Amino acid sequence: MELTDADLVARVLVDDDQHAFSELVRRHQSSVRGLLRQLTRTDIALADDLAQQAFLRAYKNIRSFRGEARFSTWLYRIAYNCFREDARRRKELVGIDEEQLQTQHDPQAADPGLRHDLMRALNLLPLNERSAILLCCQNGLSHDEAARVLDIPLGTVKTNVLRGREKLKRMLADWGPHQVKQI
Amino acid sequence: MNQEDWLDRELREAAPYIDDEGFTARVLQQLPPPRRRHDLLRAVILLGMAFLASVLAYVVSDGGRFVSVTLERLAALPALWVFGLALASGLVIAAAGATAAISKSRASLT
Repeated sequence: MELTDADLVARVLVDDDQHAFSELVRRHQSSVRGLLRQLTRTDIALADDLAQQAFLRAYKNIRSFRGEARFSTWLYRIAYNCFREDARRRKELVGIDEEQLQTQHDPQAADPGLRHDLMRALNLLPLNERSAILLCCQNGLSHDEAARVLDIPLGTVKTNVLRGREKLKRMLADWGPHQVKQI
Repeated sequence: MNQEDWLDRELREAAPYIDDEGFTARVLQQLPPPRRRHDLLRAVILLGMAFLASVLAYVVSDGGRFVSVTLERLAALPALWVFGLALASGLVIAAAGATAAISKSRASLT
Protein backbone atom coordinates (compact mmCIF):
# COMPACT_ATOMS: atom_id res chain seq x y z
CA MET A 1 0.00 0.00 0.00
CA GLU A 2 1.42 3.37 -1.00
CA LEU A 3 1.66 5.97 1.72
CA THR A 4 -0.24 9.19 1.21
CA ASP A 5 1.42 12.60 1.29
CA ALA A 6 -0.12 13.14 4.73
CA ASP A 7 1.45 9.89 6.03
CA LEU A 8 4.86 10.93 4.71
CA VAL A 9 4.53 14.41 6.23
CA ALA A 10 3.63 12.79 9.56
CA ARG A 11 6.80 10.68 9.42
CA VAL A 12 8.91 13.74 8.72
CA LEU A 13 7.27 15.54 11.62
CA VAL A 14 7.52 12.75 14.16
CA ASP A 15 10.80 11.02 13.27
CA ASP A 16 12.48 13.68 11.12
CA ASP A 17 12.44 10.91 8.51
CA GLN A 18 14.46 12.19 5.55
CA HIS A 19 13.64 9.07 3.57
CA ALA A 20 9.96 10.03 3.78
CA PHE A 21 10.81 13.56 2.69
CA SER A 22 12.79 12.25 -0.27
CA GLU A 23 9.67 10.35 -1.37
CA LEU A 24 7.71 13.61 -1.20
CA VAL A 25 10.36 15.34 -3.32
CA ARG A 26 10.33 12.48 -5.83
CA ARG A 27 6.53 12.68 -6.12
CA HIS A 28 6.29 16.42 -6.61
CA GLN A 29 9.56 17.41 -8.28
CA SER A 30 8.18 17.24 -11.80
CA SER A 31 5.17 19.49 -11.22
CA VAL A 32 7.10 22.01 -9.11
CA ARG A 33 10.00 22.21 -11.55
CA GLY A 34 7.54 22.38 -14.46
CA LEU A 35 5.64 25.25 -12.88
CA LEU A 36 8.86 27.15 -12.15
CA ARG A 37 10.18 26.56 -15.66
CA GLN A 38 7.05 28.16 -17.05
CA LEU A 39 7.16 31.03 -14.57
CA THR A 40 10.81 31.74 -15.37
CA ARG A 41 10.06 31.49 -19.08
CA THR A 42 11.94 28.22 -19.52
CA ASP A 43 15.12 29.27 -17.74
CA ILE A 44 15.79 25.68 -16.67
CA ALA A 45 18.82 26.35 -14.47
CA LEU A 46 17.08 29.13 -12.55
CA ALA A 47 13.88 27.09 -12.27
CA ASP A 48 15.75 24.10 -10.80
CA ASP A 49 17.61 26.33 -8.34
CA LEU A 50 14.30 27.80 -7.21
CA ALA A 51 12.76 24.33 -6.98
CA GLN A 52 15.61 23.21 -4.71
CA GLN A 53 15.12 26.28 -2.55
CA ALA A 54 11.40 25.55 -2.40
CA PHE A 55 11.89 21.96 -1.22
CA LEU A 56 14.49 22.99 1.36
CA ARG A 57 12.14 25.66 2.65
CA ALA A 58 9.32 23.12 2.76
CA TYR A 59 11.48 20.77 4.83
CA LYS A 60 12.49 23.47 7.29
CA ASN A 61 8.93 24.75 7.67
CA ILE A 62 7.04 21.49 7.48
CA ARG A 63 5.61 22.10 10.96
CA SER A 64 3.64 24.97 9.52
CA PHE A 65 1.84 22.59 7.13
CA ARG A 66 -1.45 22.04 8.93
CA GLY A 67 -3.04 19.75 6.38
CA GLU A 68 -5.86 22.15 5.57
CA ALA A 69 -4.84 22.18 1.91
CA ARG A 70 -3.26 19.50 -0.25
CA PHE A 71 0.48 19.13 0.25
CA SER A 72 1.02 19.97 -3.43
CA THR A 73 -0.89 23.25 -3.03
CA TRP A 74 1.26 24.17 -0.01
CA LEU A 75 4.36 23.29 -2.02
CA TYR A 76 3.24 25.39 -5.00
CA ARG A 77 2.78 28.33 -2.69
CA ILE A 78 6.33 27.99 -1.36
CA ALA A 79 7.66 27.60 -4.90
CA TYR A 80 5.73 30.64 -6.07
CA ASN A 81 7.08 32.68 -3.15
CA CYS A 82 10.63 31.61 -4.02
CA PHE A 83 10.03 32.70 -7.59
CA ARG A 84 8.49 36.02 -6.52
CA GLU A 85 11.35 36.82 -4.15
CA ASP A 86 13.87 36.03 -6.87
CA ALA A 87 11.94 38.08 -9.41
CA ARG A 88 11.82 40.98 -6.98
CA ARG A 89 15.56 40.75 -6.64
CA ARG A 90 15.84 40.80 -10.40
CA LYS A 91 13.27 43.61 -10.63
CA GLU A 92 11.18 41.86 -13.24
CA LEU A 93 8.09 41.11 -11.27
CA VAL A 94 5.66 43.13 -13.38
CA GLY A 95 5.10 43.16 -17.11
CA ILE A 96 7.26 41.50 -19.72
CA ASP A 97 10.47 42.52 -21.31
CA GLU A 98 10.02 41.77 -25.00
CA GLU A 99 13.66 42.39 -25.82
CA GLN A 100 14.82 39.97 -23.15
CA LEU A 101 12.25 37.46 -24.35
CA GLN A 102 13.66 37.59 -27.88
CA THR A 103 17.23 36.93 -26.73
CA GLN A 104 16.41 34.46 -23.97
CA HIS A 105 17.40 30.86 -24.44
CA ASP A 106 14.22 29.00 -25.20
CA PRO A 107 14.45 25.24 -25.82
CA GLN A 108 10.85 25.22 -27.03
CA ALA A 109 11.91 27.39 -29.96
CA ALA A 110 13.45 24.31 -31.52
CA ASP A 111 10.00 22.73 -31.79
CA PRO A 112 7.96 24.50 -34.43
CA GLY A 113 4.22 24.24 -34.48
CA LEU A 114 1.38 24.53 -32.04
CA ARG A 115 3.38 23.70 -28.89
CA HIS A 116 5.91 26.39 -29.70
CA ASP A 117 3.21 28.98 -30.41
CA LEU A 118 1.36 28.07 -27.24
CA MET A 119 4.46 28.41 -25.08
CA ARG A 120 5.35 31.65 -26.76
CA ALA A 121 1.84 33.01 -26.28
CA LEU A 122 1.91 31.92 -22.65
CA ASN A 123 5.22 33.69 -22.13
CA LEU A 124 3.74 36.88 -23.54
CA LEU A 125 1.06 37.01 -20.86
CA PRO A 126 1.63 39.24 -17.83
CA LEU A 127 2.88 37.34 -14.81
CA ASN A 128 -0.40 37.45 -12.86
CA GLU A 129 -2.38 35.97 -15.76
CA ARG A 130 0.35 33.47 -16.64
CA SER A 131 0.54 32.23 -13.06
CA ALA A 132 -3.24 31.82 -12.81
CA ILE A 133 -3.41 29.97 -16.15
CA LEU A 134 -0.49 27.70 -15.22
CA LEU A 135 -1.93 26.75 -11.86
CA CYS A 136 -5.57 26.33 -12.88
CA CYS A 137 -5.38 25.07 -16.46
CA GLN A 138 -2.05 23.28 -16.52
CA ASN A 139 -1.68 21.95 -12.97
CA GLY A 140 -5.36 21.39 -12.30
CA LEU A 141 -5.73 23.51 -9.17
CA SER A 142 -9.14 24.92 -8.33
CA HIS A 143 -9.57 28.70 -8.36
CA ASP A 144 -9.68 28.60 -4.58
CA GLU A 145 -6.40 26.66 -4.34
CA ALA A 146 -4.76 29.01 -6.86
CA ALA A 147 -5.89 31.98 -4.77
CA ARG A 148 -4.11 30.44 -1.76
CA VAL A 149 -0.95 29.78 -3.74
CA LEU A 150 -0.83 33.27 -5.25
CA ASP A 151 -2.09 34.91 -2.05
CA ILE A 152 -4.65 36.99 -3.93
CA PRO A 153 -8.47 37.14 -3.71
CA LEU A 154 -10.51 34.42 -5.40
CA GLY A 155 -12.20 36.95 -7.70
CA THR A 156 -8.83 38.17 -8.95
CA VAL A 157 -7.80 34.62 -9.83
CA LYS A 158 -10.99 34.10 -11.81
CA THR A 159 -10.48 37.39 -13.63
CA ASN A 160 -6.86 36.57 -14.42
CA VAL A 161 -7.76 33.14 -15.76
CA LEU A 162 -10.52 34.63 -17.90
CA ARG A 163 -8.32 37.41 -19.27
CA GLY A 164 -5.42 35.07 -19.85
CA ARG A 165 -7.62 32.68 -21.77
CA GLU A 166 -9.04 35.46 -23.90
CA LYS A 167 -5.54 36.62 -24.79
CA LEU A 168 -4.38 33.09 -25.56
CA LYS A 169 -7.41 32.62 -27.82
CA ARG A 170 -6.58 35.77 -29.70
CA MET A 171 -2.89 34.92 -30.02
CA LEU A 172 -3.64 31.35 -31.11
CA ALA A 173 -6.51 32.24 -33.43
CA ASP A 174 -4.77 30.45 -36.31
CA TRP A 175 -4.71 27.25 -34.25
CA GLY A 176 -8.45 27.08 -33.59
CA PRO A 177 -10.02 23.77 -32.53
CA HIS A 178 -10.96 22.95 -36.14
CA GLN A 179 -7.39 23.27 -37.31
CA VAL A 180 -6.15 21.15 -34.44
CA LYS A 181 -8.58 18.36 -35.30
CA GLN A 182 -7.10 18.17 -38.79
CA ILE A 183 -3.54 17.61 -37.49
CA MET B 1 -14.98 20.55 -28.46
CA ASN B 2 -14.95 24.20 -27.45
CA GLN B 3 -11.95 26.49 -27.42
CA GLU B 4 -11.47 26.36 -23.64
CA ASP B 5 -11.31 22.57 -23.56
CA TRP B 6 -8.82 22.65 -26.39
CA LEU B 7 -6.67 25.20 -24.60
CA ASP B 8 -6.76 23.27 -21.34
CA ARG B 9 -5.76 20.05 -23.06
CA GLU B 10 -2.93 21.67 -24.96
CA LEU B 11 -1.70 23.40 -21.80
CA ARG B 12 -1.68 20.13 -19.88
CA GLU B 13 0.16 18.37 -22.69
CA ALA B 14 2.67 21.22 -22.86
CA ALA B 15 3.82 20.23 -19.36
CA PRO B 16 5.38 16.78 -19.79
CA TYR B 17 6.75 14.77 -16.85
CA ILE B 18 10.25 15.96 -15.94
CA ASP B 19 12.66 13.14 -15.12
CA ASP B 20 14.28 13.36 -11.71
CA GLU B 21 17.86 13.11 -13.07
CA GLY B 22 19.44 13.47 -9.63
CA PHE B 23 17.26 16.37 -8.50
CA THR B 24 15.97 14.55 -5.39
CA ALA B 25 19.51 13.52 -4.45
CA ARG B 26 20.71 17.12 -4.73
CA VAL B 27 17.88 18.31 -2.49
CA LEU B 28 18.65 15.60 0.09
CA GLN B 29 22.32 16.56 0.14
CA GLN B 30 21.35 20.07 1.19
CA LEU B 31 18.99 19.06 3.98
CA PRO B 32 20.20 19.88 7.47
CA PRO B 33 21.31 16.83 9.51
CA PRO B 34 18.41 15.01 11.18
CA ARG B 35 17.46 16.18 14.63
CA ARG B 36 19.14 14.19 17.42
CA ARG B 37 16.51 11.92 18.81
CA HIS B 38 16.10 12.06 22.54
CA ASP B 39 16.75 8.34 23.03
CA LEU B 40 18.93 8.87 26.10
CA LEU B 41 16.37 11.13 27.74
CA ARG B 42 13.64 8.62 26.94
CA ALA B 43 15.63 5.80 28.51
CA VAL B 44 16.34 7.82 31.66
CA ILE B 45 12.66 8.70 32.04
CA LEU B 46 11.54 5.09 31.56
CA LEU B 47 14.14 3.70 33.99
CA GLY B 48 13.33 6.40 36.53
CA MET B 49 9.62 5.64 36.33
CA ALA B 50 10.30 1.91 36.65
CA PHE B 51 12.51 2.52 39.69
CA LEU B 52 9.91 4.74 41.37
CA ALA B 53 7.18 2.19 40.66
CA SER B 54 9.34 -0.55 42.21
CA VAL B 55 10.00 1.49 45.34
CA LEU B 56 6.31 2.29 45.63
CA ALA B 57 5.33 -1.36 45.20
CA TYR B 58 7.91 -2.40 47.80
CA VAL B 59 6.62 0.12 50.33
CA VAL B 60 2.91 -0.60 49.90
CA SER B 61 3.38 -4.38 49.90
CA ASP B 62 4.78 -4.63 53.39
CA GLY B 63 8.44 -4.75 52.42
CA GLY B 64 7.91 -6.92 49.35
CA ARG B 65 6.43 -9.73 51.35
CA PHE B 66 4.11 -10.66 48.47
CA VAL B 67 7.19 -11.57 46.38
CA SER B 68 8.45 -14.16 48.84
CA VAL B 69 4.91 -15.52 49.33
CA THR B 70 4.43 -15.87 45.57
CA LEU B 71 7.80 -17.57 45.19
CA GLU B 72 6.91 -20.01 47.94
CA ARG B 73 3.64 -20.79 46.19
CA LEU B 74 5.43 -21.27 42.84
CA ALA B 75 7.95 -23.57 44.52
CA ALA B 76 5.08 -25.66 45.85
CA LEU B 77 3.58 -26.13 42.34
CA PRO B 78 4.15 -29.42 40.51
CA ALA B 79 7.09 -29.27 38.04
CA LEU B 80 4.76 -29.88 35.06
CA TRP B 81 2.71 -26.80 35.96
CA VAL B 82 5.84 -24.63 36.19
CA PHE B 83 7.01 -25.95 32.83
CA GLY B 84 3.60 -25.22 31.27
CA LEU B 85 3.54 -21.67 32.65
CA ALA B 86 7.06 -20.94 31.37
CA LEU B 87 6.24 -22.34 27.93
CA ALA B 88 3.00 -20.32 27.67
CA SER B 89 4.77 -17.12 28.74
CA GLY B 90 7.53 -17.70 26.18
CA LEU B 91 5.03 -18.30 23.37
CA VAL B 92 3.06 -15.15 24.19
CA ILE B 93 6.21 -13.01 24.23
CA ALA B 94 7.53 -14.57 20.99
CA ALA B 95 4.18 -13.96 19.24
CA ALA B 96 4.12 -10.33 20.38
CA GLY B 97 7.71 -9.81 19.18
CA ALA B 98 7.04 -11.42 15.80
CA THR B 99 3.92 -9.31 15.27
CA ALA B 100 5.84 -6.12 16.05
CA ALA B 101 8.69 -7.11 13.72
CA ILE B 102 6.34 -7.94 10.83
CA SER B 103 4.41 -4.70 11.14
CA LYS B 104 7.63 -2.69 11.27
CA SER B 105 9.11 -4.39 8.20
CA ARG B 106 5.86 -3.83 6.27
CA ALA B 107 5.89 -0.15 7.16
CA SER B 108 9.48 0.26 5.99
CA LEU B 109 8.73 -1.48 2.68
CA THR B 110 5.88 0.87 1.76
